[in-house]
Order: sequence, then C-alpha cells, then structure tokens
Amino acid sequence: MIGREDIGGVHIKYLHHCRRQLWLYVRGIRPEHLSAAVQTGEAVHDVSYPRHSPVDLGAARLDFLDGQQWVHEVKSSSRPTDADRAQAYHYCHQLQRLGVEVQGAVLHYPATRRTHRYPYTPEAAAQAEEDITAALATAHAPVYPERLPRTGCRGCSFADYCWTE
Amino acid sequence: MPAATRTYWLTSPCRIRRKDESLVIERDAAPSVHIPVTDVRDIVACAETDLNTSVVSLLNRHRISVHLLSYYGDYAGSLLTADTSTSGETVLAQAALARDPQASMAIARSIVDACAFNVRRVIDRKLLARPYTVLQESIREATTPLHLMGAEGTFRRSAWEVIDTKLPDWLQLNGRSRRPPKNAGNAFISYVNGIIYARVLTAVRLTPLHSGIAFLHSSMERQRHSLVLDLAEMFKPLFAERLLLRMASRNQLKHHHFDRDTNQAMLSDTGRKLVVQTVRDELAVTVTHRALGRPVAYDELLYLDALALTRHCLEGTLYKPFRIWW
Repeated sequence: MIGREDIGGVHIKYLHHCRRQLWLYVRGIRPEHLSAAVQTGEAVHDVSYPRHSPVDLGAARLDFLDGQQWVHEVKSSSRPTDADRAQAYHYCHQLQRLGVEVQGAVLHYPATRRTHRYPYTPEAAAQAEEDITAALATAHAPVYPERLPRTGCRGCSFADYCWTE
Repeated sequence: MPAATRTYWLTSPCRIRRKDESLVIERDAAPSVHIPVTDVRDIVACAETDLNTSVVSLLNRHRISVHLLSYYGDYAGSLLTADTSTSGETVLAQAALARDPQASMAIARSIVDACAFNVRRVIDRKLLARPYTVLQESIREATTPLHLMGAEGTFRRSAWEVIDTKLPDWLQLNGRSRRPPKNAGNAFISYVNGIIYARVLTAVRLTPLHSGIAFLHSSMERQRHSLVLDLAEMFKPLFAERLLLRMASRNQLKHHHFDRDTNQAMLSDTGRKLVVQTVRDELAVTVTHRALGRPVAYDELLYLDALALTRHCLEGTLYKPFRIWW
C-alpha cells in the first residue's frame, strides 16, 4: 500500500471530491482514460501555455513553476473548487519539502480566462499536512466509503462503476 | 463502452501501417485511409490483416487491442496490450471468490439463469416456459459447474428446436454444430458468437478483472480467456439468436451469403460483410439504463456487466448478470 511520499495531486483532488473515488483509485480502478471529460481536460492541458514545461516530483506532477516560485496549474473546468485549491497546496507542500521556498499557487481557468492566486501560508501548509493524513487513512480503510448523493457523481469517470447494478 | 473512442471494423484484406504518430489502413482494392489513433478504442479484423512492430508499439501505447477473426469466422486470437488495467487487489479478490466453491457456484448459477432467461426472451417465451422452469429446478439442485453446464445444454437443445420452427428450411440449425458448422444457420451463429467473444474480451480488458479467472467455465484452461466465456453467455442470445431470427424474417439472408459444402458451411465474403455490418450497427443501438439513467449502447452493456462483476469481487455487492429488460 502507499505511504506518505506516494500521495500525489490526484489523490488530494479525489479526497476532496469523493473519498470513494480515492479508495477505488488506489485499488487500481482507473476508468479515467475512457472518459470524454478527462480527455477534454488533457486536451486543454496540451493547448494551454505550451511554452512551459511540467515539473515532475515523482508522485506529483505540476504544470509549471515560474521564476518567482509560484506553482501554476491549469484547470479545464470553469468553476474553482476546494479540490483544486487543496491540490495546489499539496504541490506547494511537496516543493517545500524539497527545499524550494514556494510563494504559493496560481490556478488558471482558461475556459473563463480567470486566474486565482493562493499564497502558501502556514495555515495552508497545515491543511496540506492534514490532507495527506486523511488521504492515507481513506486509502488504507478496509471498507469502501459510500457513494456520494447522485448529483455529486455528474461528470465523474467512476460513475459507471459506482452506479451500475 | 464509453464513447470517447470507437471500434474500427476491418472487413476487407488490408495492411495496418504506422504513419508518424497515427495509423494508415492500406487496402488493395480501395484507397488507403488515415485514422487518428486517439479515436480508436480497439480494432476487429474480420479479414486478412498485416501489421508490424512499429504499429504494435503505437497500439500498445494507446492501449488498443486488435481482435482477429479467421477466414472461417471463428475467433483466431488477439493482439492484446500489456495488462495495464488489472489491479492486484481486484484480481486477488476475484481469485478468492473463484476458489470458494459456494461463492463461485452462486455466480455460475446466476449466469446460467440469466443466459436462459435471455434465450427465452429472444426466441419464444411461451414455448420455452416449461424448459425454463425445468432448468431453474436443476440449477437449484446442481452442485458443480459441470452439472450446471449440463442443465444449460438441455435447455439449449429445446431452444434450438424451437428456433428451427421459426426459420426457413435452408437456415434451420438441426442441432448446434461447431468446428466446422454443419449448415448455414450454425455458421451464422458461430460467426456472431466469435464477434461477441472478441467484444467481451475488450470490455474485460478495460476493467481491472483478470480475463483468465472464471466462475462457470474452468479457469485458465488451454489458454482461453475463461472469464470472457462466462460473461459472453448472457450476451450471445441478444446478438446471435436475435439477429438470426430478425434477418431471416426480413429475408435479408440469401443463399449467396453462404458457401456450403455437403457437411459444412460458412459465410461467404459478401455474407461476412453483411453480418459484420449488422452486428456493428446492433452494437451501437442504445437503450435507457435504469440505474445510470442515461442511454447506453449495447456495446457498453458488456462493459457495465464486467464492471458489476468487479464490484462484486471488490466490495461484495450482489452481482446480477445482464438480463434483457426491454
């Protein structure tokens, strides 16, 4: 099973969206590549900011890091969510651990041409730590977490798995 | 299966080539076609197909399988991508269920029951009512998968007799025969079953299940994908028997669609093309799924059924094999 250093951005995002999704993900259920929504997201990544190169941190992979040490992340949705922010904080946390003095994260929403800036404060660092602990606890839980209410599953690539009878 | 990509069916002899990061299909009789590789979920090759290493590595990168049907219409094999979808924990859970006689018998029973239900639904509800109750009785009494298969065989025999009453003389089955099929009707059913087997294999490969660990058929025997045999059971009547009856009653099948010898029969080139097109169109037909609340293609039903089995293995939710509900 996975340990603290294996937790990546996807784990944190799933933790905030749906614990069951995270539980399934660490068990190797990966229907993402079959989902049109995920493919759109990848296409948005490919065509947005093509001059920047991604930074690979092993478990996590962030879109790019600028000269002022801000983490940049491109999102294909139009609506900022807590999961997006938590994911960005997680990247900051990972970089901090490697000795990079991160200032914070900038989330880009090309669909609405907005950006959101989140400075990396001590509270954010604490939240990132908490998220990692919560993600590990969820991943190691012996019993599967329950499904979200139906409306929460809209657009999720795991919905077919969870809702088929 | 989810609609982000699609299946490509090759019905004439061709060569698959790699052109940069994409595919080109070269044909003798017709101009070649370029296919964006991101649009391909899998390829079903129903005619002679050549391909080489560079194509295989590209296909593997995009997780595309190629299924090959032989000249005689039976399933010849597949070029499968590396096992990227299987998950250790699911496979272990699946194996544990398969080792547990009680749990695996429960699954095998429900598969046989659902299969017979679908056969009856497709062929004739009234005439098969009695054999179906007999079958349910023997399912309850059966203690091994072998008994189950025997009971299913008995039911199937009555089903073949009933289906013969609805077919024109020259298409009648006169009992099921395989390798080689003895007559036109059997040739049709064998061919469609081969396609369905290939489709179910694709579906299973997209889920974390292991295609070799089965519940009704014996696991990993003679390198067959036994789980695929299990899951294909419920879907064969939906396609093979149903399409045979439909195409016969619409007079779509003609004598020239079959090459017949004294003791064996197979589809001719035109017949094969017709059947492949029909099955392909049938796979794209949609019905509203009651649990998902959205239209679902027949093709996707195979995938959803495999997912339901995954859930049964991993979480212990009740597995209800596919039954025709419309």
